[in-house]
Amino acid sequence: MPTFKLDGKTIPFEPGDSIIKAAERQGVEIPHYCWHPGLSSPANCRMCLVELVPKPGQRPMMLDVLELDEATGQYRPAQKPKLQPACYTPAAEGLEVLSDTSPHVTQARHDVQERLLLNHPVDCPICDQSGECKLQDYWLEHDKSGKRMRDEPVHKSKGVEFGPTIVYDGERCVMCTRCIRFMAEVAKDPVLDMRERGNLNEITVGPGRQLDGHYTFMTEHVCPVGALTTKDFRFKARVWFLRTAASLCQGCATGCNAHLDYDPRYNKAYRFRPRDNEQVNKYWMCDEGMLSYREAHDGRVLEASVRGKPASVSEALAAAKDLFAGVAKESVAIVLGAQHSLEDNWALRELGTVLMDSRHVYVSGRPDGYEDTILVHRDKNSNTQGVKTLAPGARPLSALLGDVASGAVTHVIALGGAAPVDAGDLEDAKLVVVAAHEGPLTKLATVVLPATSWAEHAGTYVNARGLKQVAEAALEPLGSSRTAWSLVAALASALGYQPSWSKLRQIRAQLTAPTAADAPAAAALAE
Amino acid sequence: MLKRTDYLTRTYGKPEGWKLAAYEREYGGYQVAKRLLTTMSREQVVDEAKKANIRGRGGAGFPMGVKWSFMPKVVGAKPHYLVVNADEGEPGTHKDRTLMELNPHAVVEGCIIACYAIGAHVAYIYVRDELHLSKTRLWGAISEAKARGFLGKAPFGKDWEVEVYVHSGAGAYICGEETSMLNSIEGRRGEPRMKPPFPANAGAFGCPTTVNNLETIASVPAAFGLGCDEWSKLSALHTIGDGGVRLYGINGHVKKPGVVELAVGPTFNELIHDIGGGVLGDKAIMCVIPGGSSTPVLRPSETVNAPDPKSPMHPHHGKSVFDVPLGVETMRQCGTMLGTCCVTVIAEGTDPVWCMQNLMQFYGHESCGQCTPCREGSAWLHLVCTKLLDGEATKEELDSLHDIANGIMGNTICAFGEGTAMPALAFLQKFRPEFEAYVKGARKRADAKLTVEPWS
Ligand code: SF4
Ligand code: SF4
Ligand code: FES
Repeated sequence: MPTFKLDGKTIPFEPGDSIIKAAERQGVEIPHYCWHPGLSSPANCRMCLVELVPKPGQRPMMLDVLELDEATGQYRPAQKPKLQPACYTPAAEGLEVLSDTSPHVTQARHDVQERLLLNHPVDCPICDQSGECKLQDYWLEHDKSGKRMRDEPVHKSKGVEFGPTIVYDGERCVMCTRCIRFMAEVAKDPVLDMRERGNLNEITVGPGRQLDGHYTFMTEHVCPVGALTTKDFRFKARVWFLRTAASLCQGCATGCNAHLDYDPRYNKAYRFRPRDNEQVNKYWMCDEGMLSYREAHDGRVLEASVRGKPASVSEALAAAKDLFAGVAKESVAIVLGAQHSLEDNWALRELGTVLMDSRHVYVSGRPDGYEDTILVHRDKNSNTQGVKTLAPGARPLSALLGDVASGAVTHVIALGGAAPVDAGDLEDAKLVVVAAHEGPLTKLATVVLPATSWAEHAGTYVNARGLKQVAEAALEPLGSSRTAWSLVAALASALGYQPSWSKLRQIRAQLTAPTAADAPAAAALAE
Repeated sequence: MLKRTDYLTRTYGKPEGWKLAAYEREYGGYQVAKRLLTTMSREQVVDEAKKANIRGRGGAGFPMGVKWSFMPKVVGAKPHYLVVNADEGEPGTHKDRTLMELNPHAVVEGCIIACYAIGAHVAYIYVRDELHLSKTRLWGAISEAKARGFLGKAPFGKDWEVEVYVHSGAGAYICGEETSMLNSIEGRRGEPRMKPPFPANAGAFGCPTTVNNLETIASVPAAFGLGCDEWSKLSALHTIGDGGVRLYGINGHVKKPGVVELAVGPTFNELIHDIGGGVLGDKAIMCVIPGGSSTPVLRPSETVNAPDPKSPMHPHHGKSVFDVPLGVETMRQCGTMLGTCCVTVIAEGTDPVWCMQNLMQFYGHESCGQCTPCREGSAWLHLVCTKLLDGEATKEELDSLHDIANGIMGNTICAFGEGTAMPALAFLQKFRPEFEAYVKGARKRADAKLTVEPWS
């Protein structure tokens, strides 16, 4: 692999890499605002300027500047080398780049940082970005000077509603154009642009339009400062109280990698943020996915119930035992859940096909929906592929409806409340549902057992492209919920069987060992 | 050496000099283009053009023929374009306007030759929005040329289609920067692009493009008409690669401001006194801005320091910079730039702090605002200068001015940054006592002047 030198350190690079990208891959940060690995490089913030050491025999390009001799009060001519943006300059074999070790670079970074704060309102106490803002971080790293301009800063539009989800503050904006480029290059909807000129310019929405569609949250996500905020997160939390878990979006079969940010003091989830994964979602998530963190709390099954009445988990297990008393194994069916983890589904498959020796295996989940060519998958379940690998012969829920109507199946144990079709006919069956979320099946069930959601337990999911990925637990179990696999074990015991599992690692050991195809997922997890 | 010529301006002042009839009478009318297209190959035209030593007339002074030679030799899948820069927004510069209004056919003929040379079939002349008469005259010349078959499918029977269009700017100085102009032509926001890619590789609509100043293009028929070698030798500086004749402007505090055609190489003193009729009120000169407000000012007391006999400046060693022939290289050696060579004369008694404040107001207003050092720096320079004038600036603020300008210098996307920092640094360096006087309260805005008698 070709290499270049950055402050004396050898940096390998791939053809087409900019200096900043190759450095980032080696874990070396060159400060930047406008550059984003998933977008084009306009090189407009000038924060990433670096010095290129001229090749032997090559004359450096020097610029005339002035220095002030404090003692005499006279100016003295001085020279400085022409710096180059690391985000735009291609890495090249043998290149020698000075970043942290060049006094000219140090000066340039200080200058850019000072200029960016020149007309900034510095309203950090009421800014949602505070604590994760590049202006704050870089001030400490590269500026540390007091404000020299004592005059009224330039005032611009504030609190502008760009659309149903996003609010813009022109005074906080550093004009990096990431939001404009995201909409144009990734969302393919060039609805944002810049208006005005000089230090009066600001971001604006195209005439007659608003910032809408399926990717508006990403404009806030790419914004390096607090200029764009989401109505959803605005004024809800201080980020330094939040903890994060390496999670997975459950919104569709794409399986976007996400950070689930939560406040441990309130055991409450506050937001999703994309977690970079070149293989899956790159740097992005869709709006529906971004908002689906709410499902950690919304529509949850938090207590057990029997015939619609609240019950304790042990009462519900006793009711399930009564319900299943004396049933013939040929009449028992299990319904695996495409929204539940591989571990949960393994447990139910184990109970159904091994312990109860049933041959009736079905799968349920949410119905198909909107899809696009960017991220959003038509399949709105996070683990359809996982269920397929566990139970390749599983039949769709519609088949179960027929089997119940014909009397072939009389008793059903289902994982998850969702159903892709009208499941009203299941009324005729004796139904036990283990679920994290309410849905048509929990409504029809005689016994409902409260399972933890993806937010409260570690679980494995297989996305549409067959990638096996793990979501970490963020929250403590809510209400009386327990992991679905442990509820299935308890149900097995209640029905008089001996479950072979009592620990997550026992299940994980049973699930097939990772294959070569899973390697990228493992790498993604390591991140 | 002052040498008046009329290669570009023969139709100036003639009745309906902008019409084809006048162009035919005075210049023979498109005979040069006809000869080149029908007897020479593209490559021959480019090689010949190099000999004319036409340094770009827009300010940067890049040799035109060399620029042409950067275009791909073979026209590939992407068409080539010629873009003619007539945005002319630099304060004090108004030479291209005279060509468009008074000799538009030279521009159109130049377009035909340049298009042929660079392999283009389409030329866009990008004219500053305010120049309505210029646009009208250009369109008039284009339709006359079209009616005679000089433009269109087969000019002069040669199978090389050429169309010329006038494209109106929308009132932004920055669109005079070549890549910004390309964005504007494409209907985008007028913001400079990062280079590379250079226009010769990816210019208008992502296709190979040559961007030439309007006067540069208008010089082409005259240069070829005379023979490019001969043309180059008209200049006093042709031995250092600066050939031909060009339009010199003289304005500011002179008695007879205007635009004249001269062989390359007059001095400031010749321009000011022989052409400009001397300084208003016969005052002494405080300084001159060589051409275009971005070029650092020169004071008459400055002398050339070139003791080395090998230096091209040695013949002028010890002389006042006001007695040096005005050329691209000579002005560079004097620590400034020739730029558009439309000289602004500033008489003694004018307030240099106000001059700088005035320029910084312009740059602060015209920065496109995409890159941080220029967006914030140019407006900050303006702010501090204004405070100085108003007697509100502290010593610390005065001492921050060069630092703000240094922070712009070289750190921006386009040359606008240097165009702001260079004049700022020059004013500071050359007029520090006057700046200090404002901090000390010894100078006041109420007493300051930008103009001199008899109009002050
Ligand atoms: S709103 Fe944010 S992302 Fe958009 S230009 Fe401003 S700082 Fe950059
Ligand atoms: S230097 Fe100024 S004018 Fe040029 S791109 Fe940057 S902000 Fe725009
Ligand atoms: S990161 Fe903004 S200029 Fe390079």
